[in-house]
Amino acid sequence: MKLSRIQVVWIIVTTLIIAMIGLRITPAIQIAKQDAWLSMLVGGIVSIPLTLLVVHLSILHPNRTLIEFGQTVLGKWLGRTIVLPYLISWYILPAVLLRSFGDFIHLIILDQTPVWIIMFLLISVVTYLTYSSGITGIGRFCALVGPIIVFTLLVSFILNVRNVEWHHLFPIYTDSGWIDILKGSLPPAFWFAGPFILLVIVAFMEKPKKAISTAMLGIGITVFMVSAATLMVLLVFGPDLAAKLRFSFFVSIRTIDILDFIQNIDILIVFIWVFGVTAQLSLYFFIASYETAQWFKVKDWRKFIWFGAPAIFVMAIFIPNEATITLFSKFWTSVVFPICGIGIPFLLWTISVIKRKSVKL
Amino acid sequence: MKRTTNLCIAFLFLSVTTGCWNLEEPDQLSFVTGAGLDLTEDGKLEASYLVVLPASLGSGQISGGENKNSFQVMSATGKNVSDAMVNVQSKLSRKVFSGHRDIFLVGQRLAEHGMGKTIDPFLRIPKSEMRSMIYVVKNGKPKDVFSIVPFFDRFITTSLSDEQKAIGLKPYLAREFVVDVLSEGKQPLVPVVGLNPSGHYSYRGSGIFNKADNVKLVGFLNMKETAYARWITNDLTRVTLTSSIPKEDGSISLTLHSLDQNIHVQKIDEQLQITVQLSGKGTIIENTTNLDPTKQKDLQLIQDELNQKNQKLVHKIIKKVQEEYKMDIFGFGEQVHQQSPQQWKSLKQNWTETFSQLNVSVKVDLQCTNLGQTDSSIYP
Repeated sequence: MKLSRIQVVWIIVTTLIIAMIGLRITPAIQIAKQDAWLSMLVGGIVSIPLTLLVVHLSILHPNRTLIEFGQTVLGKWLGRTIVLPYLISWYILPAVLLRSFGDFIHLIILDQTPVWIIMFLLISVVTYLTYSSGITGIGRFCALVGPIIVFTLLVSFILNVRNVEWHHLFPIYTDSGWIDILKGSLPPAFWFAGPFILLVIVAFMEKPKKAISTAMLGIGITVFMVSAATLMVLLVFGPDLAAKLRFSFFVSIRTIDILDFIQNIDILIVFIWVFGVTAQLSLYFFIASYETAQWFKVKDWRKFIWFGAPAIFVMAIFIPNEATITLFSKFWTSVVFPICGIGIPFLLWTISVIKRKSVKL
Repeated sequence: MKRTTNLCIAFLFLSVTTGCWNLEEPDQLSFVTGAGLDLTEDGKLEASYLVVLPASLGSGQISGGENKNSFQVMSATGKNVSDAMVNVQSKLSRKVFSGHRDIFLVGQRLAEHGMGKTIDPFLRIPKSEMRSMIYVVKNGKPKDVFSIVPFFDRFITTSLSDEQKAIGLKPYLAREFVVDVLSEGKQPLVPVVGLNPSGHYSYRGSGIFNKADNVKLVGFLNMKETAYARWITNDLTRVTLTSSIPKEDGSISLTLHSLDQNIHVQKIDEQLQITVQLSGKGTIIENTTNLDPTKQKDLQLIQDELNQKNQKLVHKIIKKVQEEYKMDIFGFGEQVHQQSPQQWKSLKQNWTETFSQLNVSVKVDLQCTNLGQTDSSIYP
C-alpha cells in the first residue's frame, strides 16, 4: 500500500475542505464578524508549525505509523497507553461526522427519509471503499474527486459574483481586533492541521522525505479555498446575516440567479458534499481499523472493519441531538486537539530527537 | 458467481439510493410564485399565496375562446406565519412548494404593526427562497395584488419582479431587507406598490422602517424621493431628471445612465460632517428652452442649473427624513462605521438621535455627455 505525492495532496484537500466549509465558516463569522476570512488565513498560518511537528515526527520514523513508532519511542506498554486517546477519537470522530452529515442531508433534501437510512448507505459505501482497496483506493478516490470539488467550488464563486457587495467587508480589523481574529482562527487552525491523520498517512508515502512539501501544498490549497469560501459568504450576506445561518456557504449557493435561468443549483453542491464526506469518513475509518490492528498486533487489518463499521454506525445513531455535536466540537478544540495534536506529538518528537542524537554521539 | 452477487448488491443499492422516500412528482406540488403576509382587522396574521395552475399553462399556443385562469390566490389566517401556512395548505390538495417564489408582499397593516416576529420562518425553513423580492402593499392587502390579472405576463409576480429594473432601481431582495434589519447603521427602505382604482397596481415609492421598534413601517417616500434616496445608497441604475429653467422659460430633461455616489465622513470640531457627492452622466432628452447645448457656455449653464436644483432637492429630502422620520435609510451610519470604525463604537448606541441632527452637505455633479439629435429646442 503506497501513496504518491499527488494522492497525499488530494487526500489532505478532499478530507478537510468539505468539513471546513460546511461546519467552520459560521462559527468563525460569529466570533470575528467581517474579518472571519482573515481568521481563516491566520488559522492556516497557525496550522503550519503544528503540521510541521507532526510530519517531522513521522519522517523520523520512516514507513512506520503512530502506533508502531509510539512503542519504539516510549516502550511497549507506555507506548500503547499513550496512543489510546488517538484510537478513541478516530472512532468517535467519524461517528460524529456521519451523524452531522446525515442530519444535514435529512434537513436539506431527504426530509422524509429516516436519518439512519442515509447514514447506513454512507457507511456501506465507506466500508466498501476501505475494504476493497484500503488506503490506495482512498488515495485514488481523493485524487479523482478532489479536483472536481475544487473546480465546482471555484465555479460557484464565479457564478455568485453578481451577488457580491464589497461594503460588507468593511471596516477591516477594527470591529473585531486581533483577539477576536485569533479566537476565530484557532478552531480552523486545529482542523487545517488535520485530525492527526498525517501521523499515519506519511508512513504510506512513496517518498517520505518529500512529506513536508506535500503536506504544505495540500494545506495551502485547503486554506486558500476555505478563506475564499468564507470571503464569498461574507460578501453575499454580510457578517450579521451570515452569523445567523447555520449552513451559510450552502445557503449562499441558493442565492445564485443568472438571468433568471440558472437557479437552485445547490444540488450540485450536495454532490461534492457527498464526495468529500465519503473521502473523509473512509480515511478516518481506514486509519481506525489499521491502527487498531497494529495495536492488537494483528496482521490482517481488514478484520477490524467488521468491528469498526457497526461501532461507528451505532454510535452515530445514539448521538441524542445537535447540542451533543456542538459540545463534542468544543471538547475537540479545547481538549482533544491540544493533547493529541500538540502535547503527545511534541513529547514523542522530543524523545525521538534526543534518542537520535545520543545514538549519533 | 462472485460477479452475480456483486451485480445483485449493486442493484439493491440502486433501488434504495434513488431517494424514493422523498418521491415528489410535480403533480403533487402546488408551485407558489408569490407569498404575502398581512394582519386581518381583528389582528390575526393572514398568509396568502399566488398558486400556479399548471393545467392552464400548457403549450404557448393561443386557442380561441379559452379563457382559463392561470393562477389562484389562496389565503388563510393563523397564530403565526407557519400556522397560517398550514391553514392555507388545508385548502390545497397539493403540497405548497416555494422554490420558485419570486415575490414576498407585506400588507400595510402588518407593516405598521411591526413585522419583527415574522422574519424568522423565511430564513429557517430549509426550502425557503433566497432570491425573492420584497414589497409593501400600500392601502391594500397582498391577496388583492395577487388577484390582479396582468397584461404582459401570466402572473402578477413576474411583472412585480421586473418592475424595479424597469424604473431603474436595483432590485431590493428580501434577504437584503434582513441584512438591513440586522445591520448596525442602516434602516430598511422597502419598495411600495399600491392598487389603482382601475384594478391594476402601480409603483408608489418606498416605505421607511424602524428596525429598533419591531421593524415597524413609519412613513413613505414618493417615487422621486425614493430615486434620490436609492442614489445615495448606490442602488440606482438609471433616472430621468427634469428641471425647469425660469430664466429661459422652459425645462430640460436629462436621462442619467452612469450614476455614481460617494459619501465622505469628516470630523470637524467634534462634530460629524457628512458630504454626499452624487454624480452622473447622461443624455438630454427634452429641451424646451432657447439654450443650445452644443455651445459650451449654454451647456455649462444647463449643467449648473441642473446641479443646483438637484442639490437643493436632495438636501430637502435628507432634511425631511432626518426631521420627520429620524430613520437612517441612507446608511450614513454604515459609512461612519466603515470610515471611522473607532468612533462608531461609541456612536452606535445613540445613532438614531445623532442621525437626526447630522450635518449633511450635498454636492451634485451632472454632465450632459450626449446632447441628443437636435441642438436648441425645435420650436423655440
